[in-house]
Amino acid sequence: MSVSAKIGRTLVHSRRRISDEAFITLLVASVAVGLFLIASIVVPNFFQLLNMLNLVTNNWAVISLGVGVTFLLVSGNFDLSVGGILALSGVLAVWFSQSTDGHNALSTGLGMPYWLAVLCALGGALAIGGLNALFVVRLRIPSIIVTLGTMMLARGIAQVVTQGSQRNTNLPDAFGMLGNMSMFGTSLKLPVVLMVILLVIAIFIEKKTVFGRLTFWIGTNPVAAHLSGIDKSKHVTYLYLFSAVIAGVVGILLASEFKSGYSNRGTLMEFDALVIALLGGVAIAGGFGSVVGMFFGAIILAIVTSAATGLVLSPDWQYVLKAIAVFLAIIIQTWALARRNR
Amino acid sequence: MTGQQQSPALSVEGLTKDYPGVRAVDDVSFAIESSTVHCLVGENGAGKSTLVKMLTGALQPTTGSMTVRGSSYEPSNTKDARAGGIATLFQELHVVDELTVLENLTLGMEQSRFGFLVKSDLDERVVQTLAAIEPSIDPSARVASLSVAQKQIIEIARAASSGANVIIMDEPTAALSEREVERLFGVIRRLRETDVTVIYISHKLDEIFRLGDAVTVLRDGKHIATKPLSEVAGRSELIEMMIGRSVFQDYTPRTTVTDDAVLIAKGLTNTLLKDVSFDINRGEIVGFYGLVGAGKTEIARALFGADTVSGSILFKGQEVGRSPKEAIAAGIALVPEERRTQGLFTSLTIRENIPVMNLQRLSNRGVFRSSVELEAAVEYVGKLNIATNSIDKYAEKLSGGNQQKVVLAKCLFADADLLLLDEPTRGVDVGAKAEIYDIIRSVADEGNSVAVFSSELEEVLGICDRIFLLFDGSLEAEVINGADVDAAYILNVVTGGREGVLQ
Repeated sequence: MSVSAKIGRTLVHSRRRISDEAFITLLVASVAVGLFLIASIVVPNFFQLLNMLNLVTNNWAVISLGVGVTFLLVSGNFDLSVGGILALSGVLAVWFSQSTDGHNALSTGLGMPYWLAVLCALGGALAIGGLNALFVVRLRIPSIIVTLGTMMLARGIAQVVTQGSQRNTNLPDAFGMLGNMSMFGTSLKLPVVLMVILLVIAIFIEKKTVFGRLTFWIGTNPVAAHLSGIDKSKHVTYLYLFSAVIAGVVGILLASEFKSGYSNRGTLMEFDALVIALLGGVAIAGGFGSVVGMFFGAIILAIVTSAATGLVLSPDWQYVLKAIAVFLAIIIQTWALARRNR
Repeated sequence: MTGQQQSPALSVEGLTKDYPGVRAVDDVSFAIESSTVHCLVGENGAGKSTLVKMLTGALQPTTGSMTVRGSSYEPSNTKDARAGGIATLFQELHVVDELTVLENLTLGMEQSRFGFLVKSDLDERVVQTLAAIEPSIDPSARVASLSVAQKQIIEIARAASSGANVIIMDEPTAALSEREVERLFGVIRRLRETDVTVIYISHKLDEIFRLGDAVTVLRDGKHIATKPLSEVAGRSELIEMMIGRSVFQDYTPRTTVTDDAVLIAKGLTNTLLKDVSFDINRGEIVGFYGLVGAGKTEIARALFGADTVSGSILFKGQEVGRSPKEAIAAGIALVPEERRTQGLFTSLTIRENIPVMNLQRLSNRGVFRSSVELEAAVEYVGKLNIATNSIDKYAEKLSGGNQQKVVLAKCLFADADLLLLDEPTRGVDVGAKAEIYDIIRSVADEGNSVAVFSSELEEVLGICDRIFLLFDGSLEAEVINGADVDAAYILNVVTGGREGVLQ
């Protein structure tokens, strides 16, 4: 007993180096800090507490989406449908709660009470998530194809419901509350607080629960996971449903904030969510990554975009900058993978 | 047999290949006469495939030299080997179904000018080659309409017409019916007449006697003999050379074996298995021995529920075999054949690998008990003597033997009553092998059952109490292990020697 205890101590304490995951997360965090400092020097008025806060609060939507996308990526699956789901659930929430007595089609809804409209809109989001799971898990179609399809399907339905325009009239007063509610007597909005809660829960699930560990096992080696008795189908189904619910909630909050249902809302946000996950060190092949990394990935992207705006670069440069960020992420990713497998 | 005067088609001198901890090929020297069919035999792990990989340039020898037709030959990749006149017929076929036979034969050799195809004598040449070795195939036929055997012949013709002097065939008859085998042999004999040397690798000893001119026997990486088959006195001498004398001394009858059947399998049948029935007793180590493709892995996966088979599998009176999850819950654990792709999470640490098969023990209402994980890791690293300085070492950084021990630890942590081990010591060095055998024995001594699926005779004779012999998907015989066990009989059965006797 004492011998094995001694062996145990040496085995546990001789871990001199930190894990790869912690290393990558630290790397991403330092890049974020470094970029912030550089931007502070180059861009006038960048180094302000409020600006730091804004980097997070302005990006609550994409960071929230990134949580679901990160878990799916770690499990070895893509989710490109989150932007579409976001638009769909927002449009549905509006349509369901618009009163029935509008003077034209776009101002006439189903007249549901707000809470019911929200639940039904979430149902719509879940349906898309369920469709993702069905095709990926049961029919074994590559997730990138499936979610590309559902991305267009969800946005397409939103487009039909809004007839290619917006729905923003005839809404109950309650509709605008959630998205604009200030918390703790500060300017902090409810969605931002929800994002923080979501991040805390996600990190807890990732690090401390069996569910989190299952995600890594499945992503690292699906065959070994299956032969180790893990029900991969069930797990990936849950992940798609969770991701869809997150996107659904984000869509409802955004619809509430702007008091409108707009089918083009969150266009390309699915790619932003993917980009921040990749920037944050999540492996595109699955099995590696963390929510914290994704968060710092979002910060990096936010700094790049807002610094560009501060440098009075025209907003047209945004995509080029994002593209550079993506290429860098992929190069570093490949390099890190090659190093790991050496 | 002909042309004794000219230099050999291929010769190797002092060829050695070292892997970390293992010497796969050990100072092998022999020569192959040109225009002969030269057979290469040996048990699994004897070093045949390593030798072939060196001949084809896929691996480079640690020391030693190779000579082709009198000149030195040092291929650094398969392309070099082709240039040196050595072609390989792989088990998986490389033909394009959508093209015709002729187009397949000239694929990659077309003459072109400014990007346009130019007529040349190439077509004529390949048609002649094909006609010489197999006149019944129409060069204008679509390859998709041909059988597997005919596609194989197309590949042989392609190799021959590209100027290969030596064609290596690795188990070419694995997927062929008896009649197709005969046709392939006809092709090989005609090849020999056109001055092509064939290196023929097969476990089916009958084929070797029917086809071969000379044979080289390898055992444990060492060269045992090269001689004309006319000087070999039948299967028994060949088998004797393959197994040697020094094996299977270490089996001692075990006392914990009961006759209380814990698993009863009846009539297991699928595309490969033919009505396989057996039982495994509590406290017993049973072996399933057969050549590659005899159905060992299929049985293991069927018992574990990883593949579906018809028939019934009762484990402790309860029906199993529907999914791995169910099997694990019932108390069955599998160490799969391919540890890197099927057993191990290579990019995770030892600590993260071990607990995966027993989530109940890990979960405290969904929250991970990291203390349990830590204790398990420390316990099994100590118990199985896994050579590592930290439980947080990545599994991919471990040696083969230690990786296999991690996979074993996974199964032991699952508290299984029946352990299925598919090739448990493949690619494992000798020291770790002995340790794994000790683990297997101690698991069985504790009253659990173990099934070892192996293509190494030494292994099953060393540890198993009872051995099931498989050939071509059917369970041919059952042997009780003991001092008087007849290894020659076993090898005869698993190489198909029993078939004639049965009928």
